[in-house]
Amino acid sequence: MDTSREDVGISIRSAFLRKGIQQRFSLFALTIISIILIFLETIDTKPLNRIRSFLKDVVYRSAVVATYPNKIFSGSYKTIQDHFSLYKNYSELKKENEELKSKKSKSDFLELENSQLRKLINEQVQSESNLVSARVLLDEQSPYLNSFVINIGANKDIKNGMAVLDGKNFIGRVVDVNFFSSRILLVTDLNSKIPVISEPSGNHAILSGHGEDQPTLQYLSENHKIKDGDKIYTSGKEGIFSPGIAVGEARVKKDKLQVKLNSNLNEITFVNVNLEGFKGKE
Amino acid sequence: MGVSPKDFWAKIIAILPLLILFFISLNGSSVINIKFFSINIHYILVYFWVLRRPESLGYGFIFLSGLISDVVLGLPLGINSLSLLFVAGVAAYVRVLTVRITLINDWISFIPALLFANFIYFISLYYSNLSVDYFYLLKNSLFTFIFYPVLWGVFSLILNLTKS
Repeated sequence: MDTSREDVGISIRSAFLRKGIQQRFSLFALTIISIILIFLETIDTKPLNRIRSFLKDVVYRSAVVATYPNKIFSGSYKTIQDHFSLYKNYSELKKENEELKSKKSKSDFLELENSQLRKLINEQVQSESNLVSARVLLDEQSPYLNSFVINIGANKDIKNGMAVLDGKNFIGRVVDVNFFSSRILLVTDLNSKIPVISEPSGNHAILSGHGEDQPTLQYLSENHKIKDGDKIYTSGKEGIFSPGIAVGEARVKKDKLQVKLNSNLNEITFVNVNLEGFKGKE
Repeated sequence: MGVSPKDFWAKIIAILPLLILFFISLNGSSVINIKFFSINIHYILVYFWVLRRPESLGYGFIFLSGLISDVVLGLPLGINSLSLLFVAGVAAYVRVLTVRITLINDWISFIPALLFANFIYFISLYYSNLSVDYFYLLKNSLFTFIFYPVLWGVFSLILNLTKS
C-alpha cells in the first residue's frame, strides 16, 4: 500500500516538477505563473494595463494574419456550397422570376392604364379649351405691323377672330386664314382691339395696340378702380373669345393705363389657337 | 549547404503540432461550435502530443498558446493556460504510468484530464465574475470526449510521418 502511494507521488512529481524531455519549464512553474496571471488580471494599475494593452495588440495583429487562411477557406467553402446548392438556388430564382414577371405584367398593365387615363384627361382638357397648336412660320413685327404667320389654317378648322395663346396667355387673334397657314394679329398691333376685364377691380375696357410693346386700356369708365398690378383678362364680350384668358398686368401711368403682357412676343415659337367660342357658329 | 526538400518536409511535419497549436489559438478556433456540437480541439491536441510525443509540444508553448487564446477570446489572462497545463499535467502523469499505449487507454485517461481542465476553467471564470453556461460546459466536455478518437487517428498519422 505504501509502495503504491509512493509510486503515485513519484509519478506526480515526475509529471509536474521535472522539466522532462526537451522542456525548458516545469509544469508546476508554469501553473504557478498562470495562477499569478489570473490574480494579476484583477489588479487595475497603469503599468499592468499598459503591458496588457501591448500584449493584446501584438496578439491581435498576429491573429489577423493567422485568420487569413481561415477567411480564404471560408470563402472557398462558401463557393463550393454555392455550387452544390446550384439547383436549389436555380429553382428558387425561377420561382422568384415568375413572381416578378407576374408583378411586372401587372405593373405594365397599370402603366398602360395610367397612360390611357392621362391621355384621356389631356384630351378632356384639350376639348374643354379646344386648343390647337401651331408653329410660328413668320414673325413680322414693326411699329405698323405686329403679326405672326402660323403653319395651320383651314385644314385645322382655323377661323378668323379666333384667340391665339402663348401657353395660357392671350397674345392676339386670327385675322387671315389660308388652307395651310393663318395670320395672327398681335395685341400690340395698332389695329388690335380686344375687350378685357380687370381683376380685382372688375372694370371693363378695350385693350388697344399701338405698335409698341405695351398696349393700353381704353374706353374705361371715369370712376374705374384699376390700380397698378391689376390682372387683365379677356372679358368674353361679343362672344368671340372665351372669358378669363390672362393677358397681362396693368401699369398705371400719368395719362394712360398700359398693360404689361404676360408673354414676351419676341420669343414665341409655338402658339395655341383657341377654337372655343366658334362651335355652332358655322 | 542547402536544405534538401526531404529534410524541409521532415522539419515541417515535426513542428506541425506546434503550428496547429498556435494556429488554433490565434484563430480563436480552439473550440469548434457547429450547431449543437462543441469540441475543444485544444485539449485533444495538447493531451495527445504530451502523451505521445512531449518533445513536439513544449510546456512553454502550451502556456503561451493558452495566453493567446485568452486574449483572442477576451478572457482574463491565464485561464486557458491553466486549463491547458492541467491537461498537459494529466497527460504527463499518464505517460509516466502507462507502458502500453492504445486508443482505449488514451481515451479513458482523457476523462480525468477533461474533468480537471473544465473544473479549472469553471473556477477561473467563476472567480473572474464571468457568467458560466453549465450546460455548454457539459456539452463541450461530452463532445470533446466523443470526438477524441477521430483526432487521435489524425494525429497518429502525423506522428507516424514524423517517425518515418
